[in-house]
Amino acid sequence: MTAPVRRAAGPATGTVAVMTTDTVTLTGLRAVYGTGTRRVTALDGVTTSFAGGTFTAVMGPSGSGKSTLLHCAAGLDRPAGGTVTIDGNRLDDLGEDELTRLRRDRIGFVFQAFNLVSTLTAAQNVELPLRLAGRRPPASDVAAALAAVGLADRARHRPSELSGGEQQRVALARALITRPAVVFADEPTGALDSAASRQVLRLLRALVDDHGQTVVMVTHDPTAAAYADRVLLLADGRLADEFTDGITPAAIAARIAEQATDPAGGSRPPAHVAGESSC
Amino acid sequence: MLSVRRSAGAFVAVAIGVALVTAATLLLVSGRPQVPDRLAQATVVVQSPEAGAADSFAPTRPWSAIRAAELVERLAGLPGVDAAVPDRAFYAQPLVDGRPRAADGQREDAHQGHGWASARLGGLRLTAGEPPRRAGEAVVDRVLGLRPGAPVTVLTAAGPEPYTVTGLVDAPGVHVADEVAAALAPGVRAIGLVLDPGADPERVAAAARGVVGGDGRVHTGDGRGALEPRGDARTRWIGMQVLTATAALAGFVTVFVVASTFAFTVAQRRRELGLLRAVGATPRQVRRMVYAEALAVGFAAGLVGLLVGAALAPALGRLLVDVGFEPATFRVRYALWPLVVALAAGPVIALLAVWSASRRAARVRPLEALREAVVEQRPIGRLRAVTGTLLVAAGAALGLATATSDDARDGATFALYAVMALVAGATVLAPAVVGPVVRLLRSPVRRRGGAIGLLVRSGALTATRRTASIAAPVLLTVAFAVLVAGMVQTSTAAYAVGRADRVNAGWVVAPDGAPGLSDRAVAATPGTALLPTTVFVPESAPAAAIRPLTALGVDPVAFAAANRVLTVVAGSLDDLVGDDTVVLTASAVPTAGLPSQPYPVVFADGERVSLRVVAVVTDGSIPGDLLLPRAAVRAHDPSALTSAVYVRDRIDPPVGARVVDVTAWGAEADRAEDRLVWLCTLLLIVVSAGYGAIAVVNTLLLAAAGRAADLRLIRLAGATRRQVLWLVTAESALVVLIGAALGGSVAFAGLLSIRAGLAEQVGAPVDLVVPWTVVSGVVGLCLLLAVVASVVPTWRLLRHRPGRSPVGTAAG
Repeated sequence: MTAPVRRAAGPATGTVAVMTTDTVTLTGLRAVYGTGTRRVTALDGVTTSFAGGTFTAVMGPSGSGKSTLLHCAAGLDRPAGGTVTIDGNRLDDLGEDELTRLRRDRIGFVFQAFNLVSTLTAAQNVELPLRLAGRRPPASDVAAALAAVGLADRARHRPSELSGGEQQRVALARALITRPAVVFADEPTGALDSAASRQVLRLLRALVDDHGQTVVMVTHDPTAAAYADRVLLLADGRLADEFTDGITPAAIAARIAEQATDPAGGSRPPAHVAGESSC
Repeated sequence: MLSVRRSAGAFVAVAIGVALVTAATLLLVSGRPQVPDRLAQATVVVQSPEAGAADSFAPTRPWSAIRAAELVERLAGLPGVDAAVPDRAFYAQPLVDGRPRAADGQREDAHQGHGWASARLGGLRLTAGEPPRRAGEAVVDRVLGLRPGAPVTVLTAAGPEPYTVTGLVDAPGVHVADEVAAALAPGVRAIGLVLDPGADPERVAAAARGVVGGDGRVHTGDGRGALEPRGDARTRWIGMQVLTATAALAGFVTVFVVASTFAFTVAQRRRELGLLRAVGATPRQVRRMVYAEALAVGFAAGLVGLLVGAALAPALGRLLVDVGFEPATFRVRYALWPLVVALAAGPVIALLAVWSASRRAARVRPLEALREAVVEQRPIGRLRAVTGTLLVAAGAALGLATATSDDARDGATFALYAVMALVAGATVLAPAVVGPVVRLLRSPVRRRGGAIGLLVRSGALTATRRTASIAAPVLLTVAFAVLVAGMVQTSTAAYAVGRADRVNAGWVVAPDGAPGLSDRAVAATPGTALLPTTVFVPESAPAAAIRPLTALGVDPVAFAAANRVLTVVAGSLDDLVGDDTVVLTASAVPTAGLPSQPYPVVFADGERVSLRVVAVVTDGSIPGDLLLPRAAVRAHDPSALTSAVYVRDRIDPPVGARVVDVTAWGAEADRAEDRLVWLCTLLLIVVSAGYGAIAVVNTLLLAAAGRAADLRLIRLAGATRRQVLWLVTAESALVVLIGAALGGSVAFAGLLSIRAGLAEQVGAPVDLVVPWTVVSGVVGLCLLLAVVASVVPTWRLLRHRPGRSPVGTAAG
């Protein structure tokens, strides 16, 4: 794998040192699903923050709460307790409309399943968030956004005419069109082959390096996580491990294995695995 | 976001609804009273005073011969009036080859006689021959094919009379010499004024008003439509009821169908809506989007419906005339405001229908875009459960009220509301009821279907919303059809039984091809004859109001013998003799016992007579308002016709009559009206069944698209193409049958309460008549369309190999 080499070439660690403002802050985040005997605690008091201009990978086994963390942080889901602050805005103070508007303007989201609107062209999909905000972006902006993800010539294609990697890059362009404070990506390479994955991950890395973008990505793939500046490991809804140095696929895999055999923070029985589908 | 395929069902439903509303309102507005041709040249017409309410269609109270003569003389003397001619009408039906002309049966004016002088009011000119000058001479309609000089038999109230044709005109009816007309119709109801050239009609009308004062009304221009035949006014009124009911039903059902279509579309688009929410659409925006889509569909479909409805209106108008819902004089006129109303109806219907769907759409959460399988929600919300339960409870209470009500009108009203509440409640509760019903049906399905049975059962159980949204329109349609058709047929049969039950006779002689029986026919028939006429009674309040009453001229002894329910409260029927006696019903006398004060009435000849009350009978024990001696009726109404003669044994009927047994007579007495009611019922059932069919097909087509992935999986798991087709067929058949069973039970419960109510009213046990042809037709239609609508898209889907499956994009 060439990923570690690529990462080493980037000035990522330096950026972390320079940026001191936290774009996203999570405090005592708790999330609970279901009722009665089916009750599942997906997040059990997570406190962390994501500094501006950094690339964080959130990892953990199925049901560890990593997707829930992402959804709560992005304002797609409401936590049962704790607070989320994005760019100085506390999300729990906001109503549904205000929250939507904040999400629209300040948060980009990339899904595993791309989630493009099948009846719209690539360019229309990209401009959709701005159109929903009541603005009509200049065609040049949309073209530039598509060019930035290497799809300048695909603007008029519909999702069904694009490959998986191309669709995910359109989704990325859509997430970036509003110039968000933070981009959340939920397993963005989960449905892609390795070549397409590399392309998407390099784009994310370049956003952080060249534009100071803040990126938070959930993944279970150590190779993908190796593109990040910092890795968070979740287990049973708690923050189990966190490291910023020596991020290589092998090192990450080793820390995960260590976590599984000797759960540092987790003496509790494993949480119900239904959490994965409910997040 | 607008998808043609998705909106097709709503589009069709709105278009048909608006087309029906357009046609119905155009026809409603067109239905205006027509100036009778016979009065076309009378620029000003003076009409005798109105009696009773406007919708009672009773004749006006006539002027007596003396009063009429006085009025004619004074009106003729007004400046600008060339001539004042009294218009007299009486029964006179020319027979050709011993029979009335078949085509004339419906038209009132074909069997009316008039004085020749009144021909001038219609501007009639002789096409051949001369005017009638003495008794026994007549001018007849050219279409009869007679020549001047030929003999013709004219049926009058007295019997068949020999006449000689002296001339021909191009108009229906018989014209006789004025003295003959004055003898046959002494009372006058209209005086036509022919004006001098250049005279101002309004000025003449004002002068005429001065002459008649409160004793009549003066009409000019289109206002002369008030003189149209009362039968035409009644027919038009019936037509108005039918059209209003159709338009209202169409509007209601359209909203229902479109609402369920939109609800289903929203349910299917949850992923897409969630995606939009995830990329930054606010709930408000989602809601607005759904509204905009509905508006666009409503407007476009409304426009199409408007054009179709306007184009169809003339043909529908002709149909209504043929069927008997509009008089023969009816013509469709295009007016602006019905078109404007129809244009607004489309968007309004769509917006009403989309209201609840838009609320649900706005509640879709952004995370739903991330879910792979669409997980069914709770089958039924709390608000929905409460609403449904309340509706069913209200329906049951109203059903009880129907069953215990002894007043026909109250009973019918309760029944209608009970049905509406029950049907709406059943529809609302359908998702909750579907599960238990499927479980009930599960053993037979398991035995028959094996793996398919398993899939059908589990599919229907888990996707209760889908099952319910397909079953709901079937439920609605079947319940409505069974209930309305059953109610009409049961009550028709009940009233027939009730009518026959009162008569103590084996057979009844009834008119055949004529409005009634002549005196000669009655004289030839040994039995009890009823001679109905209309008398006018001054009301105590308001002052000057007159009430028309149906009086029966009878022979008291025979009448008492032939009437099973006659109960005399005071006095004796035997005293009903002479020309100044009357028998009243209990509600018409102020105190118990025989009233001592006289009872003044105005007869059909305009004469005012004070009658002596000789007996009082219970309400409802006579088929009219009061009884008079037959001779008294005949003396004051020379054109009265006998409606029926009760006879003990079967006899050979005289000319213009036939003999039927009492049961058949009870059933046919209201046959013309029953026929109209039944036609109207069928029309309403067709409208609702058509909409039910649209809803079922639409829901199934939409569901088929959503099930593509499921069915592909089943194919991949090893099902043959034929097995999958069987699966969808069994699924839709099961759902339709569930809907039909639920709808049928709701309707049956309603029918039982209606039957109980009817039994109370007619005082005899009533058989429940269930119109099985209608029921099986409606269920069969739903079944057929449901199977076709689910098999065809599945078949098209299965033409492809099972391996292909869409991945990665949101359902669009």
